[in-house]
Amino acid sequence: MTTSDDFEPHTLAGPFAMDAVTADERASFIGHLGDCAQCRDDVREMREATARLGIAAAVRPRPELREQTIKAALQISQLAPEIPGQAAAAAESERVADAVRRPAEAKVSVLRQLAGRIRPNKTLTMITLTAAALIIGLVGGFGLLANDMTVQLHHSQQQDHLIDTVLSARDVVMLTARVSTGGDATIVMSHREHRLVFSAHGLAALPGGQAYELWLMGPAGERPAGMLRPDPGGMAGPAVVSGLAPGDMIGLTIEPARGAAHPTSALIVVIGSHR
Amino acid sequence: MSDGGPSSGGNDRELFAARRSSRGRLELDELLPAVAVGDQQAYEAVYDQASGWVLGVVRKVLRDPAQAEEVMQEVLLEIWRTASRFDPMQGSGVAWVMTMAHRRAVDRVRSERSHTTRELRAATATIDYDEVIEAVEASLDRERVQRCLTSLTVLQRECVGLAYYSGYTYREVAELLEVPAGTVKTRMRDGLIRLRDCLGVS
Repeated sequence: MTTSDDFEPHTLAGPFAMDAVTADERASFIGHLGDCAQCRDDVREMREATARLGIAAAVRPRPELREQTIKAALQISQLAPEIPGQAAAAAESERVADAVRRPAEAKVSVLRQLAGRIRPNKTLTMITLTAAALIIGLVGGFGLLANDMTVQLHHSQQQDHLIDTVLSARDVVMLTARVSTGGDATIVMSHREHRLVFSAHGLAALPGGQAYELWLMGPAGERPAGMLRPDPGGMAGPAVVSGLAPGDMIGLTIEPARGAAHPTSALIVVIGSHR
Repeated sequence: MSDGGPSSGGNDRELFAARRSSRGRLELDELLPAVAVGDQQAYEAVYDQASGWVLGVVRKVLRDPAQAEEVMQEVLLEIWRTASRFDPMQGSGVAWVMTMAHRRAVDRVRSERSHTTRELRAATATIDYDEVIEAVEASLDRERVQRCLTSLTVLQRECVGLAYYSGYTYREVAELLEVPAGTVKTRMRDGLIRLRDCLGVS
């Protein structure tokens, strides 16, 4: 790992815009982007330039690939729109881009089989999900909770793929903790996938104007990780949080409903592993 | 668009077909939100517009046509899957797509380089940005890029070329060119800014 001592955020904008950084530097810089409007502008503008470098290399793909690719795409469920913590929307989208590029790999290796075949069996996905959650549950001794969670998971089809990659990751860990203002929170996380799935139940209802906000906290800094809106029964999630960096914990605070850039109140739960 | 959100009606179909030209920027910006809500027609238009760009940059970095096709398809699937995350406030659709394509290519080429022994030294320290120009369709874009690249200093051009077209990190570039890493970082930045100004994109 690159030492963090010689990490000078601003000077990395150029290399970052061209992906000329290591994975660690990339993660650190993404954390930095949330706090540095100038860096966001720099990167944005430089990327308009690098995009043209790419376009200058354009070649025409074999015509057969068109139908094959489009067919395969139509069988993959799409991510639902998401309102990220507004204060760091740019950083959030970086994180999504950063995290999102990995999981499709497995999927695409089956691209050829997929193309021209029937829709993948939804039930099969469910079974895989259930099995994965159950295994985690048994290993962690949270069988019931995991089952609960699986039920919840079924409701959010758009997140299936992301959640699936977390649940099926080799290093998946499940942790639960009590929320100090009421309720229990559970995370299932994978450092390999740089992602975690957060869910909670029994959360206290908040007065209008206030909302729960998730935070990633660790050596890469403190980053907003999305607003959490429990249902009337106090259930929230599962919410996929991307951009998990080494050493990160997940925290929850109560903030103004429109969200905050940094926690402005005490953490009501912190969950994470010590690695 | 005068009214409301995108739909997948026949009007859109004609609209997209009519806009299929080589200008790019505006079109992708408008197509991606439609793709985000599952508009197949819009996706096909995105494919027609962007697949050649994506394949081009990926092939440039990977230098392996078969793998490049695979990665191109991966990127196009990611566009479909994550179109809802495209935010025009944070850059053009072109930049969004090309960033995704380049990053994926770079990830792939690095994981391969780490398998083989470091072939840094074997890599040429000169950029063959001329070779880039071999592509199929002559385009204004390409001529402009070539002209703008020649307006950079030699070191800026080498730094940008080795990073963008060959997928090296700035530290590797520093090693290749035998200049301090700090210098490479600034040259990359300065080079890109000059390029941006020359191309008139921001």
